[in-house]
Amino acid sequence: GKERTTSGEGRERKAGPAALGLVRRTDRVVSGSHLAPLLGLTDPGFSDCPDLKMSRVTTALGGSVLTGRTMHCHLDAPANAISVCRDAAQVVVAGRSIFKIYAIEEEQFVEKLNLRVGRKPSLNLSCADVVWHQMDENLLATAATNGVVVTWNLGRPSRNKQDQLFTEHKRTVNKVCFHPTEAHVLLSGSQDGFMKCFDLRRKDSVSTFSGEATEAGQGTPREWVMTGCCVLRLHPSFAHGFLWRLYVAAPWGTLPSGCSKGAPRQSESVRDVQFSIRDYFTFASTFENGNVQLWDIRRPDRCERMFTAHNGPVFCCDWHPEDRGWLATGGRDKMVKVWDMTTHRAKEMHCVQTIASVARVKWRPECRHHLATCSMMVDHNIYVWDVRRPFVPAAMFEEHRDVTTGIAWRHPHDPSFLLSGSKDSSLCQHLFRDASQPVERANPEGLCYGLFGDLAFAAKESLVAAESGRKPYTGDRRHPIFFKRKLDPAEPFAGLASSALSVFETEPGGGAMRWFVDTAERYALAGRPLAELCDHNAKVARELGRNQVAQTWTMLRTIYCSPGLLPTANLSHSMGKGGSCGLQLMNSFNLKDMAPGLGSETRLDRSKGDARSDTVLLDSSATLITNEDNEETEGSDVPADYLLGDVEGEDDELYLLDPEHTHPEEPECVLLQEAFPLRHEIVDTPPGPEHLQDKADSPHVSGSEADVASLAPVDSSFSLLSVSHALYDSRLPPDFFSVLVRDMLHFYAEQGDVQMAVSVLIVLGERVRKDIDEQTQEHWYTSYIDLLQRFRLWNVSNEVVKLSTSRAVSCLNQASTTLHVNCSHCKRPMSSRGWVCDRCHRCASMCAVCHHVVKGLFVWCQGCSHGGHLQHIMKWLEGSSHCPAGCGHLCEYS
Amino acid sequence: MREAVLTWCVPLELLCSHPLPVSAFLKTQVKLYTYRACAGKDEMGKMVSVINTVDTSHEDMIHDAQMDYYGTRLATCSSDRSVKIFDVRNGGQILIADLRGHEGPVWQVAWAHPMYGNILASCSYDRKVIIWREENGTWEKSHEHAGHDSSVNSVCWAPHDYGLILACGSSDGAISLLTYTGEGQWEVKKINNAHTIGCNAVSWAPAVVPGSLVDQPSGQKPNYIKKFASGGCDNLIKLWKEEEDGQWKEEQKLEAHSDWVRDVAWAPSIGLPTSTIASCSQDGRVFIWTCDDASGNTWSPKLLHKFNDVVWHVSWSITANILAVSGGDNKVTLWKESVDGQWVCISDVNKGQGSMSASVTEGQQNEQ
Repeated sequence: GKERTTSGEGRERKAGPAALGLVRRTDRVVSGSHLAPLLGLTDPGFSDCPDLKMSRVTTALGGSVLTGRTMHCHLDAPANAISVCRDAAQVVVAGRSIFKIYAIEEEQFVEKLNLRVGRKPSLNLSCADVVWHQMDENLLATAATNGVVVTWNLGRPSRNKQDQLFTEHKRTVNKVCFHPTEAHVLLSGSQDGFMKCFDLRRKDSVSTFSGEATEAGQGTPREWVMTGCCVLRLHPSFAHGFLWRLYVAAPWGTLPSGCSKGAPRQSESVRDVQFSIRDYFTFASTFENGNVQLWDIRRPDRCERMFTAHNGPVFCCDWHPEDRGWLATGGRDKMVKVWDMTTHRAKEMHCVQTIASVARVKWRPECRHHLATCSMMVDHNIYVWDVRRPFVPAAMFEEHRDVTTGIAWRHPHDPSFLLSGSKDSSLCQHLFRDASQPVERANPEGLCYGLFGDLAFAAKESLVAAESGRKPYTGDRRHPIFFKRKLDPAEPFAGLASSALSVFETEPGGGAMRWFVDTAERYALAGRPLAELCDHNAKVARELGRNQVAQTWTMLRTIYCSPGLLPTANLSHSMGKGGSCGLQLMNSFNLKDMAPGLGSETRLDRSKGDARSDTVLLDSSATLITNEDNEETEGSDVPADYLLGDVEGEDDELYLLDPEHTHPEEPECVLLQEAFPLRHEIVDTPPGPEHLQDKADSPHVSGSEADVASLAPVDSSFSLLSVSHALYDSRLPPDFFSVLVRDMLHFYAEQGDVQMAVSVLIVLGERVRKDIDEQTQEHWYTSYIDLLQRFRLWNVSNEVVKLSTSRAVSCLNQASTTLHVNCSHCKRPMSSRGWVCDRCHRCASMCAVCHHVVKGLFVWCQGCSHGGHLQHIMKWLEGSSHCPAGCGHLCEYS
Repeated sequence: MREAVLTWCVPLELLCSHPLPVSAFLKTQVKLYTYRACAGKDEMGKMVSVINTVDTSHEDMIHDAQMDYYGTRLATCSSDRSVKIFDVRNGGQILIADLRGHEGPVWQVAWAHPMYGNILASCSYDRKVIIWREENGTWEKSHEHAGHDSSVNSVCWAPHDYGLILACGSSDGAISLLTYTGEGQWEVKKINNAHTIGCNAVSWAPAVVPGSLVDQPSGQKPNYIKKFASGGCDNLIKLWKEEEDGQWKEEQKLEAHSDWVRDVAWAPSIGLPTSTIASCSQDGRVFIWTCDDASGNTWSPKLLHKFNDVVWHVSWSITANILAVSGGDNKVTLWKESVDGQWVCISDVNKGQGSMSASVTEGQQNEQ
């Protein structure tokens, strides 16, 4: 190679200094190993071409596939930094008291070389950073905490591999960085605020860059940084022997500007320096004051560009391996920002919000938008982010027990192996597929049932998109659409993920609660005769389309308001009316509609049996009816039936055979009271069901209705009812039904309609209360009151509390009300003992008329501030317009 | 792509014949598109009424949406670290508050009972639980709990009868219980290792008092038995009960799922004689657990359905008779127990009973 270099001198002058560099590097590399075939491809002139670069590395690797598993090995001491050899088979770990090379084998790490030699380890070996040259397997550089930069040559035959020592920095060197394509160029960044560029063939640095340097003026012809066009055109002076030496002699040369001005200001510490992978002469540096600078290696006098990237120190940066000009920076402000440096001003492309300050950032190979980060504070984990999903890490490695100090992707073209060193004295190899993936773990959907039965549903939009290919629904037309969603079309979301949030309104069957509010507001629970209440509530329910409930109310009325005192004819008439009313309602029903909402212990497919029992019933005598009645009760699924649902055979018989057992416990007067409205009700009957009314009067006719399958059960039950009443001269007492009513209430409560249970409980009062155990009642009451309060139906809730018979419930109204009484004379709070103020020994709020203490409503004149009991004052003012206190004020009561 | 999609939209007259304001649909393509999806096969009409799309302007995925006690406000939380509160009364959507304070994705939010004021709890990937409180119309951070070592996945307020108690389930496997002791102080109890690998969901049992209330001397606080359920990455649902000494003990271990349990929901006890818990899992299955006996020791699972995808959420309606289930296929189905005790989908096509939320849009395809 040497000979070729010399002989080609003239040509290379034309070709540019880079070619020279190349040849020199080749010397070294050839001695190293198999890099010879790369010759010619490494020309920096080509370095902007990704394909060539890529192929070079691939060649170097020989296309071998990396294998391995997630593993870790214990180090003797905490690691500060790691770096991977270009062969992807070795990793160097450096720390305060460790400097070792490990071979990465299939199953484990194997210690290969300990670079800390000598009995007395010098401070030079206390490494803050380490870097392995990506061109040369034998070349390493470390940054020591005492400011020394050391290079190591593994090719040295001696035990001590130390090669060169640069002691130019005054404080800790935070970072060292080899030029990606130039063999001898090393860059360092130190706490002392300077960056130095070393030529490894020289004893000292070739140039020094100060963090305080000013930014190059805008508009200087530096376009090459952005466009990366031919180097030659820009800098003919490069043709000189070595590119950097030129600047040593330059007038604005090597001294940092701060020093040259004689003003030794403390520069901002340099936290990271990174050569651009694409632009031969460019490197980026980050500072503790949040700035990022972009430098041309040939212009130490000033940086090309400077901008504030972070709030607080910028700990790290990394150039995108493929995207020219993309620089990721990480700072203490817990953010990783991705900048596009190709534009005139550095443009923030992405901003990843991590959980802890960002100490290291490394782009993930082959994954354009991924980068790995770790923190040196608080958080021990390593995260891989998709910069387009800036809030949730794509992957997370949780192996370390202490902060992670160094991360490195094992191979520049393999995205699945990540190596890391940590303060917990361990070295890890992480496999991407073993990572926990918070994104996957994240719940992409939110769902919530609102109070009114509306459903809030948030879903990931890409999921929604996946759905668009679905075949259209072929739904039953009876339930056209349950609910649907509109999606927010507004802005095209920047990130990968976004959610659409919709609030659906459900239909009543789906949990909508509008009916609840309406019902609660309109129900009458007290203050009127039972029959009226029932009728009213039935009407309310009907109007709200809750036919089953309406039916129940009608039945209740029938059961409890059909007194034996009425003449038989009258009764059967009214019964018939009730029945017809039911029929009328049921017409609008569909058996199937009702089925899901009904009966817990009843069974389906009873309609046939019902129809049969019906026909029997038509021609049968009373005994037969009883039997049928029993059979009927076994199970059918319409409310009317349900009412009869659990009648025990014995009970039934008992009642039927015992003529004495007729009168309910209720005092007669109640029945009397109800007798009248009942008659009245007949007049009220809507004209619609008139024709049915006649039919329903006789069981025969109602039986004929049974032809209609869906009506059958209803029919039968009604005929049963009316028949039994008619035959037994309404001797069947309400007690007879108490079991049924009880079960019905339980049924409603179980269905979630605690409203019905409580309403019936209140309306029927003593009639049913004894049948239901206190605790259940109380539970219903509290549930219902709770619901009412949720719907802010305070008045209704109050009424229910008032009407409730349960002590625990009714005392609800008396709780949490506090009365504070202040003396009207001295304005001090009064003791709870009485109405005489302790302090001024006078009675509080005396009535001006009767001269007694007013303990309730106190009315006072705003003119003279005298007052008293409302009644007294009103009465007084009727007779006189003067103040009763005798103050002479003309009071007016309005 | 949008254009292509629009070509197979329904005829416009169908759109116009709909009682809903047409302008709302025609305003944007996606809405129109959505409309098509619904109108395509079924009769539009009767059952669909006001629908509200909340423009959350969250910058990333939304993980939870919760309506408050009165159903008037909606809190959402997102990966973008923010919690937002919207007033959704009368179909409106007014952004009331944008709560910033978390440093990671916010997984869940929970409203406290309004008797304690307007209080919202949120939990996040940043391992913190934040309790927000509204004072004079402005929302402020009132407490921050940082007692977990990993992402906090779920928060749930205890029934108001117990006081202000918050249960938090975390990926570190622990469940912590924060009890407000007054004057801005919170007492923390922690159940360590409640679920190995992590706890995904917590849900409180409704307040039930042992024995009759009637015997309680009035004015004295009834002696509640505090219980809650949790679901975790160990595929288990666990029931926890507070002992008399104030310590939390595992009472039951419900085993049926074969993968991570994603959500548990204890049904509100409105008139129900039994305790019911719904659980859903990564394995696609939803179970309904019921306990009939008074001692609360025997729980029997009933498979509600096996979905083809992860089921993320289960949510009970207010009256506990309908269960909403949302699955990874981005669909919500509603389930109701039928006469014979079977759970039937009352909003699924396959059952021939109705159409579902036909939810279609052009979201951005995940490039990954």
